[in-house]
Formats: sequence, C-alpha cells, structure tokens
Amino acid sequence: MAVRTIEVRERVMAKNDELAAEVRRRLAAHRVPALNLVSGPGAGKTALLERTLEALGNDLQLAVVTGDVQTQNDADRLSRYTDRLVQAVVTGGACHLDARQIHTSLDAVELDHTDLLFIENVGNLVCPASWDLGETAKVVLFAVTEGEDKPVKYPKMFREARYAVLTKVDLLPFVPFERDKAVAMARDVNPNLQFFFTSAVTQEGLDGWFTFLRELVAKAQ
Amino acid sequence: MHEMSIAVEVCSIAQRHVPRDELENIVEVGLEVGDGSGIEPDSLEFWLESMLTHPPFKAAKPVIKRVPGDVLRVSYLEVDDGRPDD
Repeated sequence: MAVRTIEVRERVMAKNDELAAEVRRRLAAHRVPALNLVSGPGAGKTALLERTLEALGNDLQLAVVTGDVQTQNDADRLSRYTDRLVQAVVTGGACHLDARQIHTSLDAVELDHTDLLFIENVGNLVCPASWDLGETAKVVLFAVTEGEDKPVKYPKMFREARYAVLTKVDLLPFVPFERDKAVAMARDVNPNLQFFFTSAVTQEGLDGWFTFLRELVAKAQ
Repeated sequence: MHEMSIAVEVCSIAQRHVPRDELENIVEVGLEVGDGSGIEPDSLEFWLESMLTHPPFKAAKPVIKRVPGDVLRVSYLEVDDGRPDD
C-alpha cells in the first residue's frame, strides 16, 4: 500500500487560542478587564462573587459568566445580588470552559456598560488551567479546609494564575492548616503570585480584594 | 479529564487537513505531548483510540511522542491512498 505523510505541526489549542485572542481584543476595545476564577469544587468562588457583587455592584458595572457541568445554581445564586443577567454556561459534562463559550457569551454582555467581567470557571483544579479564555488573569482559589499542599499537587493551575485567594479563613482555628506553609508552597510553584486571604462569612480580608478590583478597573479606564 | 476535549480537537485538526472522503484512510495520527502540557498521554491515547476508529474515521492509530516542555501538537497524519506501492 502507498502511505503518504502529511506534515501538520499544528498546536492542538490553536483554535481555542485564536478565539481567546478575539475575546481579548473585544474586551480591550471596551477597556474591560476580565478575571477567570478557578478552583476545586466548593472552594468558594460563588460565595466570593456574591460578596463582591453585593459590595461593589452599586459603584461598578459588573458582569458575570459562570460555568457549571450541570445546573444553573451558581447563576441563580449570583442573580440575587445583581440586576444584570448572569450568563450561565452549562458545559454538559465538559470539565472546563473554553474560549468559544466565552466568545459566544460576550454577545449577551453589554460591554459598553461593563467595568469588570468575572468568569467563574467549572470547579476543577486541573482542566481549566489548559484553556485560555481571553481573560486578563486567572485567580486561583483554595480553601483552608483543602490542605496546604494544593499548589504543589496542582502546579499548572498555580503557575497559570496571577492571583491566589485563600478562602474560608474564618475556619482556621478549627482545621489543621498552616497559612504560611500554604503560601510558601504556592510561591515555590509561582513566586509572583499575589495573595488574598478572605472569608465570605465574616468578610475578613474582603476589603483588600475589593481595593484590588477597584484599582484593576481604574487602571483599565 | 480534559483529554477528551483535546482528542476532539485533534480529530478536528485531522478533518481540516484531509478531505472528508479520505478521512477513513487515515492510518496514523502523530502527536507530540509535552511533559509540562498538563495532559496525561495514556488518557489521551485512550480517547483517541476510541474516536479514531469511529466515523468519519475508520482505523487510525494515535502515536504519541512525549517531549519536554508544554508543547501539545499534531505533528503528522499518515493516509493510505489505497493504491499498491510503486
């Protein structure tokens, strides 16, 4: 038989990255920074967004795209804290959002009336690390109930992130978790990570997060 | 887990490079998978073996070469044109 070889040499993520670049162009044209929130399930992405929408929703125009494998529960929760439509992406089994979904979701986001876009990714510390969504930065969350070694167990995610939020710090007195050890492990993986330490219940540490968000918006204007 | 999505993307790339009526003649799909790519080669191979033996493909075999770095790409496709060797 005659077998011919076709040289391809094409990156598997090329199509996704092309769409991510288009998302980035659209956001830049409207001066909208976008944060891609990533974490394992239950780390507190939705709770952090609830407090954020509650605290900043009157001053800033905040838009949210939220992804889940099934249900629109997160979108429903967040809708209680904003008058704007929360874009829900149900991935139907996929373990991450991709740039095509964000590209499509942006059609329904009034970018002219948006100061900041949050993308709440599917709860998963592995897969979302490989997909560029066109975001300004990834924010990785992990909770004090998860153990200090999450960053070294899931290094790609912590390498890809620019910011880290340690959540549920109100539980520190009740769980065997050493905050400094967790930070050291994260910085071993990514020395440039900027940390926030928050509790969505007691609101501890949220002021620093809110200040960071306000500055991010101001810089983009 | 996302190896399934990656396998779907690999199949899309093959479909862009080979005419539709020749897709069933693909016999080999060569890939380079970096150690730092976040991809588990065995899992990717599993999904590709499944997808590449179903329409529009027929009996293509994934051949994964592990390389350093975070590279993840389709390097070549081998297509049997059905004609006897010259």
